[in-house]
Amino acid sequence: MRQEIMFKGVRGNLQLIFSDNIDFSEVLHQIRTKLVVAADFFGVGNMIQVPMAKQRLTQEEQAQLTAVFSEYGLLWESVDGAAQAPVPEQLTIQADQAEDDVGAPQTLIIEKTLRGGQKVVSDYSVVVFGDVNPGAEIIAGGDIIVLGACRGMAHAGAHGNRRATIKADRLLASQLRIADVISRSPDQLNDPEHPEIARIVDGIVMIEPAEQPLEN
Amino acid sequence: MGEVLVITSGKGGVGKTTTAANLGTGFALTGKKVALIDADIGLRNLDVVMGLENRIVYDLVDVVEGNCRLKQALIRDKRYETLYLLPAAQTRDKNAVNPEQMKKLCEELARDFDYVIIDCPAGIEQGFRNAIAGATEAIIVTTPEVSAVRDADRIIGLLESEGKSNPKLIINRIRPHMVKKGDMMDIDDIIDILAIDLLGVIPEDEYIVISTNRGEPAVTHPSSLASTAYKNIVRRLCGENVPLMSMEVRTSFLSKVKKFLKL
Repeated sequence: MRQEIMFKGVRGNLQLIFSDNIDFSEVLHQIRTKLVVAADFFGVGNMIQVPMAKQRLTQEEQAQLTAVFSEYGLLWESVDGAAQAPVPEQLTIQADQAEDDVGAPQTLIIEKTLRGGQKVVSDYSVVVFGDVNPGAEIIAGGDIIVLGACRGMAHAGAHGNRRATIKADRLLASQLRIADVISRSPDQLNDPEHPEIARIVDGIVMIEPAEQPLEN
Repeated sequence: MGEVLVITSGKGGVGKTTTAANLGTGFALTGKKVALIDADIGLRNLDVVMGLENRIVYDLVDVVEGNCRLKQALIRDKRYETLYLLPAAQTRDKNAVNPEQMKKLCEELARDFDYVIIDCPAGIEQGFRNAIAGATEAIIVTTPEVSAVRDADRIIGLLESEGKSNPKLIINRIRPHMVKKGDMMDIDDIIDILAIDLLGVIPEDEYIVISTNRGEPAVTHPSSLASTAYKNIVRRLCGENVPLMSMEVRTSFLSKVKKFLKL
């Protein structure tokens, strides 16, 4: 499925971003598709920001947008389009990859060890080529992959995605958070011998060996 | 231009001042011209460890504020001609100087000395930022304790963000027999977390307490274990390839016989 819209976390707010090049009815359709799949994620009564909506949309289109959002208990507001400039670029990248890459639009890659006190926050997935040391924090909207030892705090699916996972060559994290589920390490933690992956199973964070390819 | 080394750790009490005193004296023993800077303004004690307290007239803050010339504040060591100390002010605090002033000071000293060694205060605030400002190389001191290693890790991160990469590590106060029994973190555990180059390992040595109280750095005392370890570090910093000291618990022939007879 081609995706021409996306919801993006900007300074703690969710923004709806879409291209002007596509038909507005298509935008509405895709918003609906997203809301159906991830109603939990958006919650009820939340405000969605739509950059430059007042300028870009006709009165009628604005009313249609209100109607779609209100079905799911969401509100929207028009904000100044500071975040608008990079949008077309993002969307072209996305449209090119859209065929096989739906879930992970972007990934933040960190090519060093995260030391205590350092913090990485991303709306997308995060890959660390190095260790995450005690006292370091990673907060990602998507998955977290650590190609090294993960001893700090990792929070995947921070915007509420309960299907996010945390994977590490040596998963020794003091605390793992996925969406709204928090789990801490056992007080006696043995060094794992193989890569492990953490995900939510039946409402709790489960850690299992990560050798076999992930089924989604 | 000489090298400017900062000795730092984050945590207090791990042996920064002892290390600064011993490395400084160690360099002086090899004939190098060394300036020690005590950057711990308000809690100065490098002068005490060096046994030079009674010679202080001017201090670092006086130099920075222009109350005296740099040459006037530098105290020549009582044993080694090429070793000098720039003491910290005791009646002021860390905010009395700023990183730019420290940088200028270090540059000035580096012109005249082979090595400038800065004793950094504990913590990550103003005092730390002052101490690292002029450094060309950082040496991290840690002890084999989880808390000290944590703080060392934080410091490495902060140094990185200041553009000072590749700090070197000294592990202080290791007790071989405790490591052997598994009661103390061993060198590999620490390196695994910190992932930086190891410069040396200093064994726990009672003589350090004696030497600190006397104001004579341990490195001048040939038979102490710590002295050998510090001398090795000095040689490594000078570019020599010196293997790590054997950390085996030393048992003399006599003690083996005694043990045998008791059995």
